[in-house]
Amino acid sequence: MMLDIRNLQMSYGDEPVLENVDLGVAAGEFVSLIGPSGCGKSTLLRAVVGLQKPSAGDVRLDLKRREIGLLFQDDALLPWRTARDNVALGLRIRGATKAEARRTAMRWLESVGLGQFGDRYPRELSGGQRKRVAIAQVLALRPKLLLMDEPFASLDAIVRHYLTEDLLGWVDEEDLTVLMVTHDLEEAVAVSDRVVLLGNGPRAHVKGRWEIDLPRPRDLLRVKEEHQFAVTTRALWNALSEEVRTPTTRKRPEPETEEATP
Amino acid sequence: MKQKQAMFWLQVRRATALAVVLLLWEGISALGWVDPFYAPPPSAIGGAIAELFADGEIYGHLEATFGAALLGLFLGLIGGALLGFIAALLRPVAELLEPVMAMLNAIPRVILAPLFIIWLGIGIASKVALSFILVVVLTFFAVYNGIRDVDTRLVERVKTLGGGSWTLLREVYVPSVVAWVMGSLKVAVGFAFTGAVVGEFVASSRGLGYLLAFAQSTYNAALTFALIVLVLVFVMILFGLAGALERYLLRWKYR
Ligand SMILES: Nc1ncnc2c1ncn2[C@@H]1O[C@H](COP(=O)(O)OP(=O)(O)OP(=O)(O)O)[C@@H](O)[C@H]1O
Ligand SMILES: [Mg+2]
Repeated sequence: MMLDIRNLQMSYGDEPVLENVDLGVAAGEFVSLIGPSGCGKSTLLRAVVGLQKPSAGDVRLDLKRREIGLLFQDDALLPWRTARDNVALGLRIRGATKAEARRTAMRWLESVGLGQFGDRYPRELSGGQRKRVAIAQVLALRPKLLLMDEPFASLDAIVRHYLTEDLLGWVDEEDLTVLMVTHDLEEAVAVSDRVVLLGNGPRAHVKGRWEIDLPRPRDLLRVKEEHQFAVTTRALWNALSEEVRTPTTRKRPEPETEEATP
Repeated sequence: MKQKQAMFWLQVRRATALAVVLLLWEGISALGWVDPFYAPPPSAIGGAIAELFADGEIYGHLEATFGAALLGLFLGLIGGALLGFIAALLRPVAELLEPVMAMLNAIPRVILAPLFIIWLGIGIASKVALSFILVVVLTFFAVYNGIRDVDTRLVERVKTLGGGSWTLLREVYVPSVVAWVMGSLKVAVGFAFTGAVVGEFVASSRGLGYLLAFAQSTYNAALTFALIVLVLVFVMILFGLAGALERYLLRWKYR
């Protein structure tokens, strides 16, 4: 296992968000993580990169921390650095000279389709463009394990489709192992070898695993015509609906009974 | 291009408005509606300014005031930035400094002028000290809050890219703080001059504040106005410079 999470418990204060989470990702696998909003998916990724210590259990890694790339849920870039220098930053940290780092950064910006935008500051880019700069920033470091937190959530359907396609291309070219958090069930089934469902929080744990044994690389449009795609998406939908409905507090707010004073 | 033109016409309108006010004032004086002893006409104020420069004596006074204000500004910015940084990074220092700074922030700090004059004499040192104390408190809070309000997402991003404390300082903390300090730079310039002039006003033998005290004691309203106008002009020039520096350092924000 490249990544082996055992009995993980993550807490904010005394309140455990995740409890008894077991999750393994083998080299070369593409695993998607789904679950209700707020159940602790981002928190799990933070544990893997070491931004937050587990309150119990452990995260075993069969690679160095610096070989992990994390694409965050939001696209915060350094506002005072241009797109090019944002991408170059990680390379500089790893000891590349300024000129080298900038050259490599420009190559990656070109490959995410932002070749002309190297000199723009983040606030001069659109949300989708910033997302792509963030992708370039992570990929430029040539990670072996790529963690992605809802990478395409804010993008429109077409951009999303092509960016996903590009991303799958890079994953295959670079032989990446991937753990991706997503809200999009179809996307999860279309791209992954396995989909893992986290239950409702607090104390969320793994509620189900679905293997998708369709060969990779896949054609994103074709795969949706496969029988297994339809069956698994359906099953996931039902399982996730179950989780989302679980909270007992789901109630309509009471109408205000107080008299309105004129 | 359009924007530049609009700016130009705005300036023209402002200049016209100012000219109209000055003309009215001059007219009212000429008609004898106000006593020129209290409100001398613009021409008399202009004359007083010309006189100040004519005998060349003003340069020594300008030098004294500028010297005290700029030195106080410089030391205040450096001192405030250092103290703010240290307080934000070391809890015990913050616990020690924050109440003192908060207290200094709450009082009108110019009341310290007599104390500085007792301690440091009527020379330039007491004026620098007053400028410094005005600026240092302002800068301290700008830096202290700037560091504590740093965007944690950026900190985490740089950490996951492999950055250590040094990289974090250079890539995240310092630029955030520069942004905050630039936001209060103009106020700091104003404070520095307040400190220098008030210090001179209280007790000195040189400087614009000294001239102001002299003008006041001789009931010379024209000279008083002339000095006020001079301070105004110099502070405006420094504001312009501070603005240019801000636009340069924060070009990622304004471009
Ligand atoms: N800094 C924090 N302090 C306290 N509680 C937090 C903090 N960050 C997150 N939480 C809580 O932990 C839980 C898990 O948060 P997390 O961001 O991991 O959820 P998520 O599954 O990624 O949600 P989403 O799908 O909406 O992104 C949430 O209930 C959230 O309120
Ligand atoms: Mg999240």
